[in-house]
Amino acid sequence: MSGPVRPYVITGGRSGTNRPALAIESLVSAVPAADLDPDLRSGDTLNREHQRILALCHDLLSVAEVAAHLRLPVSVVRVLVDDLWDLGAVQVRPPAPQADRLPTHLLEEVLVGLRQLR
Amino acid sequence: MASASSADTTGTAGTEGDAPSYLPATVQGAVKILVTGPFGVGKTTLVGALSEIAPLRTEEVMTSAGVGVDDLTGRPDKTTTTVALDFGRITLNPQLALYLFGTPGQQRFWPLWEDLSRGALGAIALVDTRRLDESFDVLGQLEEQRIPFAVAVNVFPDTPEHPEDDLRSALDLLPEVPILRCDARDRQAAYDVLIDFVDHLLSTAVLELQR
Repeated sequence: MSGPVRPYVITGGRSGTNRPALAIESLVSAVPAADLDPDLRSGDTLNREHQRILALCHDLLSVAEVAAHLRLPVSVVRVLVDDLWDLGAVQVRPPAPQADRLPTHLLEEVLVGLRQLR
Repeated sequence: MASASSADTTGTAGTEGDAPSYLPATVQGAVKILVTGPFGVGKTTLVGALSEIAPLRTEEVMTSAGVGVDDLTGRPDKTTTTVALDFGRITLNPQLALYLFGTPGQQRFWPLWEDLSRGALGAIALVDTRRLDESFDVLGQLEEQRIPFAVAVNVFPDTPEHPEDDLRSALDLLPEVPILRCDARDRQAAYDVLIDFVDHLLSTAVLELQR
């Protein structure tokens, strides 16, 4: 868990942004340090948990995995990743769109993948 | 802070010290399927049999009262419940990953469901036929939330053989809900259940398109 600080403290009292909540299966990766706004790297815009997320996500992980590895509640990680997204510090890949009304193409892709892995 | 755990099994791989297993950078997005059922039915076991990574555990904080009601007073002492969610992952191809979320199937966890089920391809409801009544709530919830699902009987050594029709009527399942069987510990059997379920979702979707 996150130590002595309760979740609402970490997120500055916010429980979400105006955007729809990030899906638990959304994928996150940190923008390479060289491409970051210099203010972000040095300033105090980012709290310790933001920085832990950036350090963890040098490659691609889901919101759920970030929460598990950092031992933070998913709801907290959602807010923090949203902050980082707003700041341009992470890239977020939303869930694969279930194209149109019926996701036949996506389901076919899942099925083919599973059959190959079985 | 009230705390309740939905952990099905002890001895789930902890995350402490485990190096993260990253997805290939080529993955463009993920999909998810829920694995649900009553306490102790074997959700984490099934997730573990399918997952390419040791199942991870994460926590979701659930505010038990006043869901959707603004907290005007800003009081931090609302009653919250911490729910443990075990999940796993399958990289299906270089572009697409599948996450499997073990989702507690007891009524007190319904507040979590809206969020967890949004965008899910569907759910596999694990059933223990020695205690069918414990699955009634979750099956009702799946129907009410209109989440496409299949029933998978987790076959334990002393599980009696039930004819499918008996099971279907005992669980009051619609004819289109598949009833599958597996030993949730067995990777091949678990894969067969997942493949049969996705195949069912696809046939249903194709039928809908033709309508």
